[in-house]
Amino acid sequence: MGQTIFYALVSVVICVAYFLAVDHFLMDAQGLDFWYMFRK
Amino acid sequence: MGFLTRKKMMSIMALGAMIGLLLLPIAVSLPALTSGGVAFAEDGKEDGKKDEAKVEKGRDVYYKTEGIVVGAPAPVTTDGPKDYPRYNFESRVLLWFANQQHLYYGSFVLAVPIFCMVVEFMGVVTKDKALAKRYDQLAYDFIKISLTAYSLTAVLGGILIFTFLTLYPAFFGYLSSIFRPVMHIYALMFVAESGTLYIYYYGWDKMKEGFLKWIHLSMSVILNIIGTLLMFLANSWIGFMMSPAGVDEQGRFLGNIWHVLHTALWNPLNLHRILGNMAFGGGVVAAYAAYKFLASKTDEERAHYDWMGYIAMALGVAFLIPLPFAGYWLMREVYAYRQQMGITLMGGLLAWLFIIQATMIGILFLSTNYYLWQAMGRMRGAEKYQRYIKYLVFLLACGYLVFITPHTMVMTPAELKAMGGQQHPVLGNYGVMSAKNGGINVIITTTVLSFVWYMRGNKVSTVSWAKFGNIFMGCFFFFAYINIVGLAIYGYYIPANVRVGLSVPQVATTLSCLFFMFALNSIMMKGAKQTGAIEWGKISARSQYALIMLATAFTWMMGLMGYIRSSVRLFWHVNEIMRDNSPWAYTHTVGFAANMISFNVLFFWISILFVFWLGSLAAKKAPVEAKAAVPGSAPQPAASH
Repeated sequence: MGQTIFYALVSVVICVAYFLAVDHFLMDAQGLDFWYMFRK
Repeated sequence: MGFLTRKKMMSIMALGAMIGLLLLPIAVSLPALTSGGVAFAEDGKEDGKKDEAKVEKGRDVYYKTEGIVVGAPAPVTTDGPKDYPRYNFESRVLLWFANQQHLYYGSFVLAVPIFCMVVEFMGVVTKDKALAKRYDQLAYDFIKISLTAYSLTAVLGGILIFTFLTLYPAFFGYLSSIFRPVMHIYALMFVAESGTLYIYYYGWDKMKEGFLKWIHLSMSVILNIIGTLLMFLANSWIGFMMSPAGVDEQGRFLGNIWHVLHTALWNPLNLHRILGNMAFGGGVVAAYAAYKFLASKTDEERAHYDWMGYIAMALGVAFLIPLPFAGYWLMREVYAYRQQMGITLMGGLLAWLFIIQATMIGILFLSTNYYLWQAMGRMRGAEKYQRYIKYLVFLLACGYLVFITPHTMVMTPAELKAMGGQQHPVLGNYGVMSAKNGGINVIITTTVLSFVWYMRGNKVSTVSWAKFGNIFMGCFFFFAYINIVGLAIYGYYIPANVRVGLSVPQVATTLSCLFFMFALNSIMMKGAKQTGAIEWGKISARSQYALIMLATAFTWMMGLMGYIRSSVRLFWHVNEIMRDNSPWAYTHTVGFAANMISFNVLFFWISILFVFWLGSLAAKKAPVEAKAAVPGSAPQPAASH
């Protein structure tokens, strides 16, 4: 059980980081700000 | 040994000669291409020295570069027998029919050799001899189907040219004056394509082993290069009609043929068409296999056609998945070229056709998923996924409903009052691009998930990190959905100029699922334990109707998209250059267009059934030896996917 939770936590961290990176960098590459709403 | 060497030498020489012949038309026309219409200028010189003194320059309507005018202006047509001779019928409808049928067959015969090349290559590199033989037989079956269709494509091409010449002589005269050098290349390449195709088909048995097989495979590569170049050239004509370049504002050719070819929409059209052709070709072959499966009398036949249908469907869908993204790029370029053109397409006169298109795209993906779920029934061990399919249905239904929701509805004043405005207070929110991007990406991601489940249906991973791999895969898909839907919702809270960029990370999320999860799944399933063999042929009849549905929906959608792309020029033969002054320079109603598309689809399917029937006559005459190659009483065409 402990191992499953550990695997799940590692997976969540990798996936969240990956998709946020995709969002941020691909918007940045278009000269747009992904965090627009949070900055305004 | 000596014989073999001579055979090899002959093969290499034949291949070299073929490549030489292929390059010949390009080499011959190279001076004309590089000098940009020297031929035209030289013609002018012959008229006398006074012409030299009157060198007129013009500005390219798209590239904005200056060039010497070497062509006549676009003709100003008038409604009459000179420019628009006619029968007692709408000429545009006749042309529509001829064009659409030629395109259907053209797409089919361009796509099938690509499948052939892929399947033959799989056969060559596969170590399992029996499987290699099956792949080879499948590739042969594919090319056999396309051969009869190829003759019909050429006949339809001839009908199309005659229709242009007899009903639209002024327009066709102008177009051929602009594209004169490449039209010859096109014709010569068509000859090269035919020659290569016939050598490829008739040389199958002679070149079935060893080095000769590689030569044969190389011929399929050459065949596909020619086919693709042919398509690119044909695309340049429609690209020119939509977004002309290389001419001045009067339509006079400025001597640079590359500018005429390389218009604003040429590359997006090329990509969109090549993917579309592949998906269409896969659909037609899958439908053929489905028809043969349903008509099969023996288990062997059912197993073969089940396998054939699956391979064709998988290849078709592999190209269907990136197709919406290519379409998105095309639309983006249309907007970049002329914003008004984009608005006419997606927010104006033709917007309702895009709702129909969305419906058809949804049907394509629903059919694909349904087929895959049904296909899981033929493998033992895939039952474990059955109880989760309802969740996939839910995701697909949600994505589909959002995707097809229109922005506004045509209503009576009473309905308008009852609803409180043009937009529905809740559903109206789904009629915008932000929601639709989310909808289609959810549909595609779910299709990818269905494929992943199908590929691991009868397998259990044996790698040491299988548990982590499974959890990671689940998490990846879960967060992919969260990201896609999250970005769609986020789009409502930010300005339009920022929102438009969100589609890129949405697409990247879907493609990440496609590439990373397919790769991860393949690594995990390497050396996996099989819980049961795939029982080819033991699939429900419903699945085969799903394949037929897939092909029919694709045919209909192709007709629809062709109509939309052509209609966006409105009353122009060549956008903003040559006006259409015929009595038919108006946009048809949605109903008429839908009926016309349906007629074209029906005609295509009736005629292709005839082609299949002709193919079956040839199969009946096939030597017994070919049939005997099928191993076992209940053959397993492929142990894996």
